[in-house]
Amino acid sequence: MKTDDLIGLLAQGAGRTEPAGDLGHMVLGALMVLPLMVLAVWLGLGLVPVALWPVSGTFAKLSYAGIVLFGAGLLLRRLGRPGAAVGLPLALIAGTLAAVAMIGVADLLRQPVAGWPMHILGKSAPVCPWAILFLSVPVLAVMLWSARALAPTRLRLAGAAAGLAAGALGALAYAMGCDEGALTFMALWYSLGMALATVLGAVVGPRVLRW
Amino acid sequence: MAEDGFEARLAPLWHAGRDGDEAAYRAALSLIALRLRAYFRPRMAGLPDDVEDLVQETLLAIHLKRATHDPALPVSNWLHAVARYRLTDVYRRRGRRGVPDTLDGMEIEAPPDSGGVEASSARRDLGRLLGTLPDGQRQAIELVKVEGYSTEEAAARMGITVTTLKVRVHRGLQRLMQDVGSQQ
Repeated sequence: MKTDDLIGLLAQGAGRTEPAGDLGHMVLGALMVLPLMVLAVWLGLGLVPVALWPVSGTFAKLSYAGIVLFGAGLLLRRLGRPGAAVGLPLALIAGTLAAVAMIGVADLLRQPVAGWPMHILGKSAPVCPWAILFLSVPVLAVMLWSARALAPTRLRLAGAAAGLAAGALGALAYAMGCDEGALTFMALWYSLGMALATVLGAVVGPRVLRW
Repeated sequence: MAEDGFEARLAPLWHAGRDGDEAAYRAALSLIALRLRAYFRPRMAGLPDDVEDLVQETLLAIHLKRATHDPALPVSNWLHAVARYRLTDVYRRRGRRGVPDTLDGMEIEAPPDSGGVEASSARRDLGRLLGTLPDGQRQAIELVKVEGYSTEEAAARMGITVTTLKVRVHRGLQRLMQDVGSQQ
């Protein structure tokens, strides 16, 4: 087939371009999976009563995960649009991670040195990041699936963004059942959980997102 | 891609095509094809016979992914990113390590209109590939794209809804793009 014939074929009946419904896919998918994630947390850990949220630092955890989710979602959306700038979402994510790291260190420095191990490790340190990773796997599939409808050209980065968004949702769900009140705990282990999900996304991204 | 007025020539056609003007869309794709040829040729010096295959493959990709262009941004940036991705994909399929530095330049060395029409026949026959699609997809593409029926008429002839027809056309073209990609 000659290229001119192909052009004719593509243009024939092409109609209006329907806007890419990427954000809709992502939000819808997340809304479908999030209740299941919270259910899993409820069955596995039990939910922290809202009255205890000020003590368990749940507001801080939800805010942290929420901002990262917003940044990673925006990054994924931009990466799915060839030629779109990604500086803003990257800066938002990096700024949030840096701020939370500083908050974690500052919180630690306020404690007596003898209390540091307890403050850092809490009761559930090794469990937390793996639980977040575990929770994020189904929603990572949703994120990657919605990114496939777009046109990512930097596959590893797009995979990482999908992983981070999924990790943030995992953290959001995990926070509902996590009663560790120390900000240092959140800054370290929540970040690690989201980082694990990011790595998973970066590993599978190039395979899954090719088009 | 900005200096020689490519964006200025392409953008009005592209946007009109986006709003459903098929003649404008066709003109936009023709302009893009010339540009792609000029972009790929120096970067595939070792594989001159494959340039036109890659041009066609990229046109398919551009058509299928056109909704991901944000109308607020220059279309040439979007186009360049897609072309670069397709080229990198060819390198990867050929097992070539690394991508030449020239890929990063936005500028294109060859004049945009060089080697236009005479080079427009690909080695691979997309028409033959079209024949290998599942019947539903092939028929949908043939009715709308080859015989020129409107989507409503074609849907009525096939006894399916307009939405199903559009999905079949899209899936068929998508499959064509994947077949083309895995062939090499």
